[in-house]
Parts: sequence; structure tokens; C-alpha cells
Amino acid sequence: MINTPTFLCILRRSTVAGAVVAAAVVLGPASANKDPVTPKQLKLYQEAFMEEVRKGDLLFHGDAAMAEQLGVKLSTTGWACAMCHPMASDTHPQAFPKFQASMAKFATLRDMINWCIEKPNQGEKIDPESEAMKALEAYITWSNTGSVLVPGKY
Amino acid sequence: MSEELDRIRREMHAVLQPPGVRPDDSLQITRRTFIHRSLLFGAASVGQTFAWWPLLNTIDVAHAAEAPFKFAWISDTHLYERSLNTRFVDKVVRAVQEVQAMDPPADFLIFGGDLAQLGKIEELELGVELLKDLKIKKYYIPGEHDWYLDMGKKWGELFGQPNWTFDHKGVRFIGLDTVSRGPDYWTAKKMTPEERMGHMATLDGTVAGAWAGVGREQLDWMQKTLADWDKSKPIVIFSHNPLYEYYPPWNFWVRDWREVNDVLKPYTKVTNIHGHVHQVLYNEIGSMRSIGMLATSWPWPYAPEGVPKLTKPMIRADPGDHYDGVGWETVNVNADDKVDVEYIMWGRKEVFVQSPEDHDKSIGEVIRPRIADNQYPWENP
Ligand SMILES: [Fe+2]
Ligand SMILES: [Fe+2]
Repeated sequence: MINTPTFLCILRRSTVAGAVVAAAVVLGPASANKDPVTPKQLKLYQEAFMEEVRKGDLLFHGDAAMAEQLGVKLSTTGWACAMCHPMASDTHPQAFPKFQASMAKFATLRDMINWCIEKPNQGEKIDPESEAMKALEAYITWSNTGSVLVPGKY
Repeated sequence: MSEELDRIRREMHAVLQPPGVRPDDSLQITRRTFIHRSLLFGAASVGQTFAWWPLLNTIDVAHAAEAPFKFAWISDTHLYERSLNTRFVDKVVRAVQEVQAMDPPADFLIFGGDLAQLGKIEELELGVELLKDLKIKKYYIPGEHDWYLDMGKKWGELFGQPNWTFDHKGVRFIGLDTVSRGPDYWTAKKMTPEERMGHMATLDGTVAGAWAGVGREQLDWMQKTLADWDKSKPIVIFSHNPLYEYYPPWNFWVRDWREVNDVLKPYTKVTNIHGHVHQVLYNEIGSMRSIGMLATSWPWPYAPEGVPKLTKPMIRADPGDHYDGVGWETVNVNADDKVDVEYIMWGRKEVFVQSPEDHDKSIGEVIRPRIADNQYPWENP
């Protein structure tokens, strides 16, 4: 699990680094001062991502405790995302954004997630910026790692 | 995962399909499609017409029956308690009404497993209640969703022995239990019955493992059952899982397919009809043909790899219509040596793909097994 204080510390340090970069743009490349990324940082970034994948996995599979923790109601029918999409198959994150026939509009993956929550699952649409949405997105994209990007494909 | 699957698949091909081995020539498969007007569901608006047109799709499979007859198949109803989900109930009611309306009537019904969703007494009893309206003889085999809450206790009380055999008009029918022999993944982790069922009820779960199998003693029973049967006479075997390796991570297989093949090898007219995959599926395995049936509840997508080359895939379902991609089947055994499996898919003019874009695999994908079920809750008490 992530050690939260350390992680926040890293974030603060990157904010500082960001300010340094902004300053560097003004002064020119010769004065640029970026900290090289360390293995420890990489590990923390990866852990932060995998923690969201784990949460998304649980939400996607209808885990009641995780839904409660994140304050969402993704289904009222007993149905969970994974019942049509085992291993997040047939979610096709690599094809978004695209014209989505079922919604008759140009849609993002987040639009599609909310459509599935509302229609087949008869749950409550979630805030596209919420942690639950980002976790679902993390799980779906992680599960499809290695799939080739085909934006727009039907 | 893919490399391991490839290895198993190559082995299966080598073991089951040596040169020249395939189902009896009289078992050639043909397909025809027609709209079954008697099943048209009332008057519909333009928008509904497409969604409500039932469709029958036929696979012709030859058998030497003494007299023509037909039987019906319903499976994978996945019933929740009525208060939670009425859609699945509605679809069972519809399938039962349509089977009951068959004219001439079906000789019997096979229920192919996954009657319940979470193995609850109320779910299983709801299934019995709904199927009661069907007056023909019914035979049941179990699915994993029926079994792992109480390890088959309630199912056994309701339906008796999970494997059985009978002869009907020159065909030997066998029902197999491919679900009850899962490895013990619950004792060491001290799971409650509900937790055990939860893992089993998750198709892409990683905890229940390779639970689908026939088992040595049932294989011996099948061998004995077939010992007095002429090698060239027709046999139809019902199982919840396919009897070959299609996609093990979702238990779209039985782990002892080699032994199954050893028992069935001498017989030339074997047809296996199975549920669990919730999709149109066709394969030939050695001298056996294998046909996958639709669920009434919801369609599973095709697996990301291993779809049999002989399968003409079913059309990509519309997730906005819960009557799409699902249905039931009739099987007609004709005197002229044909067995027709008719897919009755609600809400479709075409059951099979008409173009590459109709296939749910038209967008290529590489997917990974899930992770959270191995970590939670046992590592975070
Ligand atoms: Fe099922
Ligand atoms: Fe099943």
C-alpha cells in the first residue's frame, strides 16, 4: 500500500519542480533544472495507478463495499459491469472517442461508462471527474493494455 | 497467459484431431435462417419492430433417429430473487410460453444449468415455479451458479441426480455434471458460503480456478452407460460447460477433455450440447460435434482468443435491449437423419454476423486477468 505522507511529499516536490521548469522557460534551456526521476518515485507513481486499478476492478465487479466507500450506486439490478465485460473485454477503450450508435453522439469512454450505469444497470450516473470514474477508467484501460489504438472504430 | 493457452490448444489439436478424424460425414452442418411468424410478439412500433422480431436460426446436424421428434433447450436464466431483478424473470416467462406453444410440442425440455444467480434457495425455487408452467417432461443439469452456496444441496433436493441417461426414439441421451468438482479454494481462506459462491459466480474470477470437469467416476459411469450402445448410433450429451478447451480462464472448457475424448472416441455420431458460454458456438472435436447455446439472461462476449474456427459468430448484441443476444433453442430430430438446432434469439432479424463489423471481436483486443479478487479481502483484514 502507498505510504500517504511520503506520497504527498513527492507531490509537493513536483510542484516545486514545476515552478522551477516555469522559471527555466523564461530564462532559457541552459538554466533548466529538472530532478531526474528516481526508481522510488516511479514505484510510487505505479502504485498510485495500481491502487486505482484495484478500486476500479472491485467497482467493475459489483463490490458493494468499494461502491459505498466511493459513494456510488452503479447498479440496482444485481448486474455488474463485468457480467457483460469479463476481464473488461468488449469495453474497447482503445476505440474512444467515437460516434457511439447507442447514444447517437460522439462519445468518450466516460460517456459510455455512464450510459452502461444508467441503462442496463439502472444505477445512478456518476460525476465524470469523480474518483469512481477515474478508477473505472484505470481498470478498463489497464485491462486492455497492449490493445492497439483504433479511435473512432465501430 | 496466451503462450500457455497456445500450448494447450496445440496439444488439444494433436490429441483430438489427428489426420482424417472428424464427425461422421452424415453430420455435415448446414444453416438456414427464417423468421418464425407464429412467435411475432404483437403489434410493434417502428422502433420496436427490430427489437422484438424473434428469429430462428438453424444448424442442421444429422442423426439416425427412429422417428422425427423435437425437444427444447433453455439454460442460463441466472435468476435473482424476484424483488431484485424482474427482467430475468420476464425472459424465463417468455421462453417458457414459447416452448409451451411449440406445435407440434417438444417431447421434452433440457434445462442446461445456471438456473440461479447466487445459488439461493429462493432463486432455485423461483426457477422451479416459473418452469412449472411448462407441462412437458423436464431434465436438469446443474451450472456453477446453482451449486456453490450449499454445494448442491438444494439443487439435489429439487432435481435429484445431476447426471443421468435415457433413450428416446433411437437416440441415447446423457446429462453430465461438469460443475460440482471444483478445487477447494474456500477452506484454507475460511470463506463463508456466500464468499465461495461470489467467487464462483464471477466468470473472470481468478480464485475458483479450473473448476469445470467431468471427473474420473463420472467418466467411468459414462463409459459403462455407452458400453451396450452401437458405435454408429446417435448419442447426444448435455453438459453445462463445453467438453473441449475453448477459453480456460472463463472455464469455457472441461479440464479433463482428454479423458472425455478417450471415452467417446469409438462412437461416430456424438453431439454435445452445452450452456455456460451464453453465445452461439460450433466446433468439431475429433469425431464429436459441439454446439453452444444462448442464455435467456445475457450474452457473454466471445473470448479474446480461441473462438473455434468453425463457429460462425452471433451478431454483436445491443446493450440497450435486454432481449437482444439471448433466447432459447429447439432441437428437431428428423427421420431423414437430421438434427436441427434452431437458435431463437429475441430481437434479431439475423442471429449470425453479416459483416466483420457485426462481430464483437471486430475491434481487436489484448486483455488481462483481473487482480483485485486475489487481494481482497484476505490481505486487508
Ligand atoms: Fe451461465
Ligand atoms: Fe455457467
